[in-house]
Amino acid sequence: MVAIAKQQEMVEAASISDAGLNAAEETSAEELAVKVDNITISFRSYKERPTTLKESFLRFLKTGKVKYYDTFNALTDVSFEVKRGEVFGIIGSNGAGKSTLLRTIAGVLPPKKGELTVNGKVDSLIQLGAGFDGELNAIENIYLNGSLHKLSRSFIKSRVPEILKFAELEDFATTPIKYYSSGMSARLGFAVAVDREPDILIVDEVLAVGDERFKKKCDKVFQRLLDQKKTIIIVSHSLSQMQEMADKILLLSKGRVVFLGDPKEAIEKYRDDSYQTALS
Amino acid sequence: MFYFPRLIIDFFGNIFRYREYLKQSVARDLRRRYKRSVLGYVWSMLNPLLMMTVLAVVFSNIMQRTAEDYAVFLFCGMLPFSYFASTSMGCLGTIRSNAKIIDQVAVPKYIFPLSLGMSGLVDFALSFVPLLGVMLATGRHIDVTVLAIPLVILPLFFVTMGVALIVAVSNVFFEDTQHLVEVVFKALYFLCPILYSRDLLPLWLQKWVVLNPLFCLIEFMRDLVYHARLPDLEVYLINLGGSFLVLLIGLWVFKQADKKFVYFL
Repeated sequence: MVAIAKQQEMVEAASISDAGLNAAEETSAEELAVKVDNITISFRSYKERPTTLKESFLRFLKTGKVKYYDTFNALTDVSFEVKRGEVFGIIGSNGAGKSTLLRTIAGVLPPKKGELTVNGKVDSLIQLGAGFDGELNAIENIYLNGSLHKLSRSFIKSRVPEILKFAELEDFATTPIKYYSSGMSARLGFAVAVDREPDILIVDEVLAVGDERFKKKCDKVFQRLLDQKKTIIIVSHSLSQMQEMADKILLLSKGRVVFLGDPKEAIEKYRDDSYQTALS
Repeated sequence: MFYFPRLIIDFFGNIFRYREYLKQSVARDLRRRYKRSVLGYVWSMLNPLLMMTVLAVVFSNIMQRTAEDYAVFLFCGMLPFSYFASTSMGCLGTIRSNAKIIDQVAVPKYIFPLSLGMSGLVDFALSFVPLLGVMLATGRHIDVTVLAIPLVILPLFFVTMGVALIVAVSNVFFEDTQHLVEVVFKALYFLCPILYSRDLLPLWLQKWVVLNPLFCLIEFMRDLVYHARLPDLEVYLINLGGSFLVLLIGLWVFKQADKKFVYFL
């Protein structure tokens, strides 16, 4: 019952901004792409982390303490829903918990508390070069990445030319990707992720390294995904881009949800907040 | 109640689901190791072969009463142990070295140690070539019992994976566990009947060695290849169960630590 009540709240929150939408209409289960329910993620912060057994043991002898960390919450009671076919933006200052949230949705970080429901295949582009092996070349990495997503060999094989073409890396296909520029790795990562046609695509800042031409290409792909009712969750510091793209924006501050709704309003609020914290 | 069966079912299910990754990863491993084709293979065989020669020369006089054709006797014991030890040591850093993947893709993390365990099996199989060579050279009779070797590989794989998973976990939390593991394996080397055989031990001890799954595995191998006889079925089944238990413990430890990995990498 609590869940339903929360859902109601969310819909109401959304209705304030999305004047065009019918507020009374409840989002049905099929319409939901991601549901984050009261999620808390905590990290350990070490003043000086003992990284070896020897060190930990010596410290234990000296001080009699085993625990050497404080926990802090990177995310506190975060709840929201993302509908299918939506571009969902997340903004917030550094350390607000944006990347943590993305990694949680991608299933990499297990939440300490709360529940996460994800309907469909998720693909994420969180860090540059993550999910790749720097020693391998582009083709080998496409195979590696595909196999980690449980794709069959023959399927991957049929997709390789397409991916290389999209990433514009045909000429560098046999170069180990550790020699790639950041733009090249970003292109490869994006091409690989998009090619799998995920139901939910998670994009962190990575696209910022691409040039204008590639960004245009990405926009086209985004549009295609959206036409297929796929969902895009995006984090960016480029507020203008966010305002242009996002249907809805979540504003995070210190791991808490500050605002959720209309992009324009969210951005204004974010500017206000950062302005004030900068002054104080 | 269904926790442990689930662990096992998931484990084998994931081997199947990630078969493409495992296949690729094993192939990559082998390619890396045997890159200079023939020479690569020769080098990797030369190491155990030389080691064995040294040991055989040193010990064949001392241990004369233990066994004839001491080199073959020794080799049979060394093969399973070196598979066990080198795989477990190899798995030490696997979680760390795959941190980039773990950070981005939600995969069951034991597929990384698992792929090493599998590529190790290929090495293991290849190292029978020099063993057969030594047997031919010493004029030792090769019996059909060698065909039963795959039956020993199964429990060997279980034990090795169980220990490898624990070792891999330890290294995520502490960077220096390598030294500890090395010492333990050194000790284990002498606790296993590699240089000696079971009947050289005092009687009271002979009963207890069964508790060491590796001990029996080495004896099985020796039974099949050296003594040309099948191991006792009862002992084999107990050992299979024990090996499975080791795997289960490894999986359990891994599962407990699994969720914490992300915070340590």
